[in-house]
Amino acid sequence: MLGGGLDPALNAPPMRLQFGPSHPATHGTVRIVLDLDGEQIINADVQVGYLHRGFEKECESGFYYQNIPYTDRLNYSSPILCNTAYCMAVEKLLGIKTPERCDYIRVIGCELSRMADHMLCLGSSAMELAAFTPFLYLLEARELVLDHIDAMCGARVTTNAVRIGGVYSDLPEGFREFSRVKLDRALELVEDAHKILTDNIVFRRRMEGTGYLSPEDLIAYGVTGPMLRAGGIALDLRRTQPYLVYPQLDFDVPVGEHSDNFDRYLVRMEEIRQSRRIIAQCLERIPTGPVNVDDPRCRWPGKNQVFGRMEELIDQFKLVTEGGLFPPGEVYFALESANGEIGFYLVSDGTGKPYKCRVRSPSFSNMSPLGHALKGRQLADVVPTFGMTNMIGGECDR
Amino acid sequence: MPENNPQPPTVSAAEPPAPSPLMAAVLARLGTLVVEHHADYGDDRIHVARENIAEVCRALRDTPELAFDMCLDVTAVDYFGNPDGFRAPERIWDENRGEWRIRPVSRHYVIPPPRGPEPRFAVVYHLLSTRHLHRLRIKTRVPEDDPTIATVSDIWPAANWLERETWDLYGIRFTGHPDLRRIYLNDEFVGHPLRKDYAKEHEQPLEEYMGPGAKEPRRPLS
Amino acid sequence: MAARVVKVARPQPMTRRWTPLLVGLGVAIAHFFRNLLGFARGRQDFTVYFPEQRFVQPPAMRGMPVLVQMPNGKERCVACGLCEFACPTNCITIFPAETASEVERYPEVFDIDMSRCMFCGLCEEACPEEAIVMSRQVEIACYSRRGSLWHKQDLLVPEAELKPRLDYLRPQYARK
Ligand code: SF4
Ligand code: SF4
Repeated sequence: MLGGGLDPALNAPPMRLQFGPSHPATHGTVRIVLDLDGEQIINADVQVGYLHRGFEKECESGFYYQNIPYTDRLNYSSPILCNTAYCMAVEKLLGIKTPERCDYIRVIGCELSRMADHMLCLGSSAMELAAFTPFLYLLEARELVLDHIDAMCGARVTTNAVRIGGVYSDLPEGFREFSRVKLDRALELVEDAHKILTDNIVFRRRMEGTGYLSPEDLIAYGVTGPMLRAGGIALDLRRTQPYLVYPQLDFDVPVGEHSDNFDRYLVRMEEIRQSRRIIAQCLERIPTGPVNVDDPRCRWPGKNQVFGRMEELIDQFKLVTEGGLFPPGEVYFALESANGEIGFYLVSDGTGKPYKCRVRSPSFSNMSPLGHALKGRQLADVVPTFGMTNMIGGECDR
Repeated sequence: MPENNPQPPTVSAAEPPAPSPLMAAVLARLGTLVVEHHADYGDDRIHVARENIAEVCRALRDTPELAFDMCLDVTAVDYFGNPDGFRAPERIWDENRGEWRIRPVSRHYVIPPPRGPEPRFAVVYHLLSTRHLHRLRIKTRVPEDDPTIATVSDIWPAANWLERETWDLYGIRFTGHPDLRRIYLNDEFVGHPLRKDYAKEHEQPLEEYMGPGAKEPRRPLS
Repeated sequence: MAARVVKVARPQPMTRRWTPLLVGLGVAIAHFFRNLLGFARGRQDFTVYFPEQRFVQPPAMRGMPVLVQMPNGKERCVACGLCEFACPTNCITIFPAETASEVERYPEVFDIDMSRCMFCGLCEEACPEEAIVMSRQVEIACYSRRGSLWHKQDLLVPEAELKPRLDYLRPQYARK
């Protein structure tokens, strides 16, 4: 038995500890039933599902365009990534190529979301290890990033920013200067947090070597995202299966080598800096032009046309009440979200509602090896390992 | 009964295009185990018989030039007996109102299409090879009266939770699964909510709260 | 012009135990003094003291949906029902009625259940008359669930007050 085992003469059962569902040191609603031998974990049973809301059932009864606001609620710390993944899956079904300006705006939105997500993850995991100051810095930085998203689409968290075949709104005037000032300040704060945390002996003692998963385990358990890259496997869909305008951009994909929590932390830290680079390049190069495709099957006509012309008015009525024209078939589209590969598997029966809308959520797959990673470890390893898994309840439980 | 429904354009073209290099390799390896293969919308997909699923998955993982070492997703689709290509009926029999209606009707009704003769469920696997970076989708039809299929959780541990989820939401039993419990819903839940005949408005009775620990242990100590 | 794979640099193993702690302390103290001295010079706080101070909201901001009231006191809505259809949460209820004026139809009842509304803006996007727009109002807390049901009279806002939003909308939703 692990760790020397229980003393058979004592005949004592292992202590059963309920970790969660609402534990102050976890950011996410999950229950971990731990069987303990002293400080050592004999068995960890991870139970998710406390935030199950029937997303997939709800999607089956809504038109394609009506489900976009629901995808915000999947990963509420990086909603634009989910919006984009869903809309691009529907676009794959329709065979649409979006205009270039739209692609740039989506990339900017995605990278802003990725930054916000990593900041929240790093900040709250630091706070769970009792480092409160970097948490405040990182949340301030996150607020500055959310200011961009607010200016882009009018909401900070429930963005509803992307549409099938376009985006909700164009970038506001002067976004580039706005972004230069605010993102510089945000990155300064991230560097401050980096200075406090990365060399700190308490932080490193709790992060280094804990939560180890071998690269074979990572692949076999279907782990993606920063957790996989911290294990030395450079699988980033932005690089390996490029979408949007990523092939034209210049950025680094950080990988770790030790596959422990500290490498996951370092990979996330580096990805924030790379996202900053990507946004700067996008704002440099963004072309002018339309942000919506001119496709009557899915994109609604302009208000200026609806007001004056009969055909467009009829078009608007048909699109709103019937959802649009979608060919029967099934598609799977995935992109690299902050936690890994988020994929949408859509089955269409030729009507305006998806027959099935399945989310391949990265958090769910990243959580499944958690019990395996904790087995035989110390009780104190639960908190940093869970923090660096970055389980987002809305996405994991759908 | 309906008059003759207008037929929507069919999905499959008359002449199937040449299979992609990945599909050619898969077909060469699996041979007659593949019942049919498609490449709609650029996604390669194969259909296999239910009995062969474990054998097929093992072969896909262990063949070096295929090397599907990551199982991204296991899920199911409730086709209600329709074929995969969905000859989508333009009109739908609305049982609540007793009339033929154009789909979709309104947001808060799910009107299942009329049942067909084919096996009802399809279990869908999405695979990725981290070495060769290619993807494959496997589909298997599973009948309604015997919704069982062999587990692949011994091939990819990732399938463990995903199969639990599929059991929870669709009621498909995975034989040989080490720990087939519900994962999202509570143990007292009756039915499987993602089936098309589970109405969206359906409510479950409130279970009486038995006090802390009354339902423990959910899982015997191992 | 491509993505490169880089290894993250892991800092040296922990040999110097105290200097990193001092660096971290220095960062925190620097923040403290910057805040303290900046405060004396009238620095803008990051925190907004909410009821007295307000956020500067961007023009894109989406608050609760309201109905546009024309200068003659009537709503612009013609009760076409598109917003009711487009709403994902089914929170709009419309009973249309006929009127003798040139628009011929008007909503006799127009209720929005604000406890269900999620400020998504799809009703605004669907409306063919520019009759329902997202205002900047978000402070709609109430004591009872009945209070979160807003009727037509509560929802009407004069057109002049909504001018910034309407000006913002027209280029956003225009095509070509
Ligand atoms: S904002 Fe969204 S939820 Fe609210 S009434 Fe409009 S469509 Fe419905
Ligand atoms: S869409 Fe506009 S005009 Fe039609 S009912 Fe709604 S508010 Fe009135």
